[in-house]
Amino acid sequence: MSESPQLTWMGKLVLFLFIGGCLFGAYKLFVKPASAPAGAGSSTSATGLLDRLSGNGPAVEIGVAYGTEKKRWLEWAVEEFGRSSAGAKIKVKLIPMGSLEAAQAILKGDQQIHVWSPASALYKDVFVQEWTIQHSTSPIAREEPLALTPMVFVFWQERYEPFLAKYGSVTLRTVSQALAEKSGWAGIAQRPDWGLFKFGHTHPNESNSGLMTLVLLAHEHYKKTARLELSEILDPAFQAWMGAFERGVSGLANSTGTMMRDMVLRGPSSYDGLFVYENVAIDYLKSAEGRWGELRIAYPALNMWNDNPYYVLNTPWSTPEQRKAANAFLDFLLSEPVQKRSLEHGFRPGNPTVPIKVPGSPFVEYQRFGLKVEIGAICETPRAEVINNLLASWQRNQGSR
Amino acid sequence: MTFTYGSEKEEWLKDVTAVWNREGHKTAAGRTILVNAIPMGSGECIDELIAGTRRAHLTSPASAAFIQLANAKWRAKTGRDLVGATENLVLSPVVIAMWKPMAEAIGWGKKPIGWQEILALAREPQGWTTRGFPQWGSFKFGHTHPEASNSGLIALFAEAYAAAGKTRDLTLADLRRPATAQFVSGIENAVVHYGSSTGFFGRKMFERGPGFLSAAVLYESVVIESYSPKYAPPFPVVAIYPKEGTFWSDHPVGIVEAEWVTPEHREAAKAYIQYLLAPAQQAKAVPYGFRPALPEMTLSAPIDAAHGVDPKEPKTTLQVPSTEVIDAALDMWRQNKRHANISLLLDISGSMNSEGGARIGGAKAGARQLVEALGDADRFSLLAFNQTARWLHDGVLLKEARPTVASTIDSLYAEGGTALYDSIDAAYTRMSARGAKDDRIRAIVVLTDGEDTNSTLKLPGLLDRIRFDGERQTIRVFTIAYGSEAKKDVLQQIAEATQARSFEGKPENIRAVFRDISAFF
Repeated sequence: MSESPQLTWMGKLVLFLFIGGCLFGAYKLFVKPASAPAGAGSSTSATGLLDRLSGNGPAVEIGVAYGTEKKRWLEWAVEEFGRSSAGAKIKVKLIPMGSLEAAQAILKGDQQIHVWSPASALYKDVFVQEWTIQHSTSPIAREEPLALTPMVFVFWQERYEPFLAKYGSVTLRTVSQALAEKSGWAGIAQRPDWGLFKFGHTHPNESNSGLMTLVLLAHEHYKKTARLELSEILDPAFQAWMGAFERGVSGLANSTGTMMRDMVLRGPSSYDGLFVYENVAIDYLKSAEGRWGELRIAYPALNMWNDNPYYVLNTPWSTPEQRKAANAFLDFLLSEPVQKRSLEHGFRPGNPTVPIKVPGSPFVEYQRFGLKVEIGAICETPRAEVINNLLASWQRNQGSR
Repeated sequence: MTFTYGSEKEEWLKDVTAVWNREGHKTAAGRTILVNAIPMGSGECIDELIAGTRRAHLTSPASAAFIQLANAKWRAKTGRDLVGATENLVLSPVVIAMWKPMAEAIGWGKKPIGWQEILALAREPQGWTTRGFPQWGSFKFGHTHPEASNSGLIALFAEAYAAAGKTRDLTLADLRRPATAQFVSGIENAVVHYGSSTGFFGRKMFERGPGFLSAAVLYESVVIESYSPKYAPPFPVVAIYPKEGTFWSDHPVGIVEAEWVTPEHREAAKAYIQYLLAPAQQAKAVPYGFRPALPEMTLSAPIDAAHGVDPKEPKTTLQVPSTEVIDAALDMWRQNKRHANISLLLDISGSMNSEGGARIGGAKAGARQLVEALGDADRFSLLAFNQTARWLHDGVLLKEARPTVASTIDSLYAEGGTALYDSIDAAYTRMSARGAKDDRIRAIVVLTDGEDTNSTLKLPGLLDRIRFDGERQTIRVFTIAYGSEAKKDVLQQIAEATQARSFEGKPENIRAVFRDISAFF
């Protein structure tokens, strides 16, 4: 029986040098210079090299501070992104935060946030202005609207009808009249057993929809859709009107979703109506039926879009890899299947190629609850100083409450 | 992980926590999360944390008012909140539970009913006679102690709001108005006694029937419990959702923000909260009468008219007042509550020297605790007994006599036999002799460690003499079986005969027992 071929010591050396050469070449090909930012996979260890060769390299992690109105859609999207090839090496950490709360956290240097996605662009100018004063650069590398949703009134159907019978329409002005009715529902609809008229919006200092309410109160008062002036905000007549409205308001929750959930759980004993995002109202239309009865949606004559912008941050703690990962997640969110899914959660897709009026869409299914595709006149976002003074006046009014 | 919670949800949490512990959930570091869930009064959940007597990691009183109070106290001490963000575990409105025929007699089912109707009944010296039902006697009302229990605190807020004609923004000025005090004292005068547990009120109301209580402030879930086959009440119980508005017992759960809570505890707490809020565990809360905290879960039986409740109620929610208003409301209540006339019967027989003197020492410490906890306007008598009974104080006003009473208690020593029955009879006879003019809560508290050795009266004779009859014989005898040799069954019979409660104590926990008893007054 012949013996199997054996390598001479010289042959072994040649083979060793060949394998070593291959590994070195691979090392040169895949490993980035030592000056690459930490957290972007700059390891030069043998383990790191083998991980990269085998496709097990450390993932890039990005933190996305987002408003909870997008919670269910984004949680689903993060899972799907993780399964996609684009997202295989990217770990997205969702950080639920009130829109204004997130802005304050970034300004204070919260290093876990690489993307800020508030409910609207309303506070963007104030944020950019404050950042630029500190850092002399813009904090935003890229921005896109993810999905649109306007503001709506949501009422219990049984309260909506008598309200409409008394006031003719649902506007912030008629809501203000109902709040001023000292005998409450006794005066509105001869229903003393319903108690006072109870209306809520979120805390303007913590939640975008609360701030949006104040802005629309100002537009309503001046009956205009653009160019709100600082002098108008400071006008005593407007201040008195806003003060009276706010004294009648109940609750002031710190998040729109929480407030809507409370309305459905506790029924008309806590709120007869709320001013919330359309998508949040849609999300609760079905569950409300099983608790207290049907809800009814009504659109204000003057409205604003909440476009759920996605800001890729250009902050010192955000590495190029993290910005790249943030962009990849944004592209995924804007893709057609993900945009279609946003429709199921009550949003109007930010991608204009995705139609709204399709079978199964809430805008078709829930028309009987008052849902409409067309909304009222859209108001322009006021300047940063107008918003800042609106918030400051509101706070002063609260002090005297 | 230690989790303290308001005892109203004990049955549900026992059920689901046992499953959690069996399933062996683990933290990321691989350690098993074992939850030690301890039921107690909502006030106690907070008091223990502030005093540092129990280092809970997670807490859930019955309502957000207690979280607000706890955070205010902790901020004053440390500058920080004690409990962080909370989530509601389950919901149940606070209601006035009343026997259905009684509720119908005041218009329930035909018109909205509220605190005004309760006040009108409470002020009526002729009680139910004025409503055409003399057989029901006086109007007997109950709610728990506002400093010990959530439903008692809520009842006080609701009375104050009703008096002020408001549903929100209750102010100090509202509380200072004489009309508010008159409204509150009018209702409080019909209270048979207070207590530390809403569940106890409910259970005793359903067991003892309308002769014990006409109505009580309970949770909707407790009203539903009255339909359980374990009770056989003469009438069904219905929930009155006060027309002036009410509160939700929303069972907020939150992580304790203290140095003993590690990041791993926090991780464990979050996982356990998520488990409690999952549909499977929420569904298990429904048979116990709770409304689930998941909006997508529809309300169904037993939250229906067949169980005395209305899923479309309440109509109006009242706002939890600010911390300073809460404090002022409690002060106002202390002045306008139904005051008490208490006789403490302390066993000083020779056996109380056992356990190296710890037994008599503990009894004296507990007695001092009771004297401390009673109000300034309460009257107090002290009878020390062995083979003979000696009155050491007789109906003194505690505002003036508290230090003297405490000194007397300190001066006691143990010797001789035990004339338990004769002593109770003597105290009962003396209190009865003061007659119906005494509009205070009248009660005797008896502490004894053994059996009767020296009385001429026998147990059946004593029970005949003190038995509660709803109208003339209304003095309650609370008993404490102290130490292992105490005759628990005898003391239980005495307490039950007077529609009171029997406790068990030992030197280590006797102060807590007296604290529990003081919550009845």
